Amino acid sequence: MFKLNLVTPEKKVVMDQELAEITLPAFAGELNILPGHSPLLTTLAAGILKYKLKSGESKKMALSWGYCQVSSEGVNVLAEIAVESDEIDVKVIQENLKGFERKLIAEHLNDEDWSKAHHEIERLKAELNLLNVKH
Amino acid sequence: MAALKEIRARIETTKNTQQITKAMKLVSAAKLRKAQHQIVNMRPYAQTLLKIIADIAVTQRVSHPLMTPHAEVKRVLVVVLTSDRGLCGGFNSQIHKFTDQWIKQNSSQYSKVDFMFIGRRAADYFARKGVRSVETMLKLDKDVSYGLASKVAERMMKNYLSGAYDEVKLIYNEFKSAISQRPVIETLLPVDLSKQSFSAQDTKVAGFSLDMIFEPKPEQIIDQMLVKHFSVQVYRCMCESVAAEHGARMTAMENATNNAKEVVSKLTLSYNKLRQEKITTELTEIVSGAEALK
Repeated sequence: MFKLNLVTPEKKVVMDQELAEITLPAFAGELNILPGHSPLLTTLAAGILKYKLKSGESKKMALSWGYCQVSSEGVNVLAEIAVESDEIDVKVIQENLKGFERKLIAEHLNDEDWSKAHHEIERLKAELNLLNVKH
Repeated sequence: MAALKEIRARIETTKNTQQITKAMKLVSAAKLRKAQHQIVNMRPYAQTLLKIIADIAVTQRVSHPLMTPHAEVKRVLVVVLTSDRGLCGGFNSQIHKFTDQWIKQNSSQYSKVDFMFIGRRAADYFARKGVRSVETMLKLDKDVSYGLASKVAERMMKNYLSGAYDEVKLIYNEFKSAISQRPVIETLLPVDLSKQSFSAQDTKVAGFSLDMIFEPKPEQIIDQMLVKHFSVQVYRCMCESVAAEHGARMTAMENATNNAKEVVSKLTLSYNKLRQEKITTELTEIVSGAEALK
């Protein structure tokens, strides 16, 4: 068994939960962690985090950008934003997505703004995806 | 007659004011609680982040432009953080006074001191005094979010990394308790990790081992983490400032409500006195009139 701590700057999302399994959107691809994983530190991309509690219950949420540290005691996840499916408003997201996409096409953005807009788009897409993912 | 009416009107208006200040006090109290909650909520993130940075520092040589102090500190950027709104007691004037004093004492040792104002109060005050700013950010009076703080942090970092400044300092109100706040100056850049004290439970560096797998390379991770760490620091300062603002406003409004109460009771007293005097005079008039008829 290992423990999960998931924190964002604005709230503690998960503290000291006993886990059986966790799947993270690591920057190099999906990362599945079981008890006894060797120590690891990796950056996370925008995507979907799934975990299975000791009791067998599983949960998922959309993450955007962060870090994951795996140690012998458990998993520490630091994310910029973590949302659960009931916090998602599809209409708002789709509107925002359209706005960003229009911006990318219409405006001549510098590198920085361009990658920022891309960040946002990926985050929004991850949130949309959360609604479609089955356990 | 006129005097009585006047006093009655004044009692009414004072009571109305009292109601407004009381409402403002309650609103501030609620907002203060929220701001305090925010401070508590961000702590685990800040601590975990710092712990991971420390973990990496155990095995890797950590160096980054954000961390290396400049050999000579001649050019500084001072960021002054105030609120957008007034009616919060000495909250803003405290900052202004503190900043003025700091300028007087320290400007001689730097070749260049530039300012960046966050919040309308400081911007207005220093604009009147003719102090120019490189940048001004307004409209912060809605809730402070991490997103906003990281935008502010980004502006500071850009200014620092462009090489225009040797240090970035921040003047803000530190939140001590609901009734007291204190202006402080803090050097935000270069980032000094040694200043961050680890509490006892953090120092044991949970299960860190030397064969940690890094993905991507540790240098890249630490790069991003320092930026995050800096944003979190800015976020912390902004949260403290907001909490201090609401605390200050709460106390100010509490005092105002009490003052209004006092004024009302004084006015009521003189109103009653006048009323009684009037009745007495009328009675004497009637009685003496009746006497005269006998």
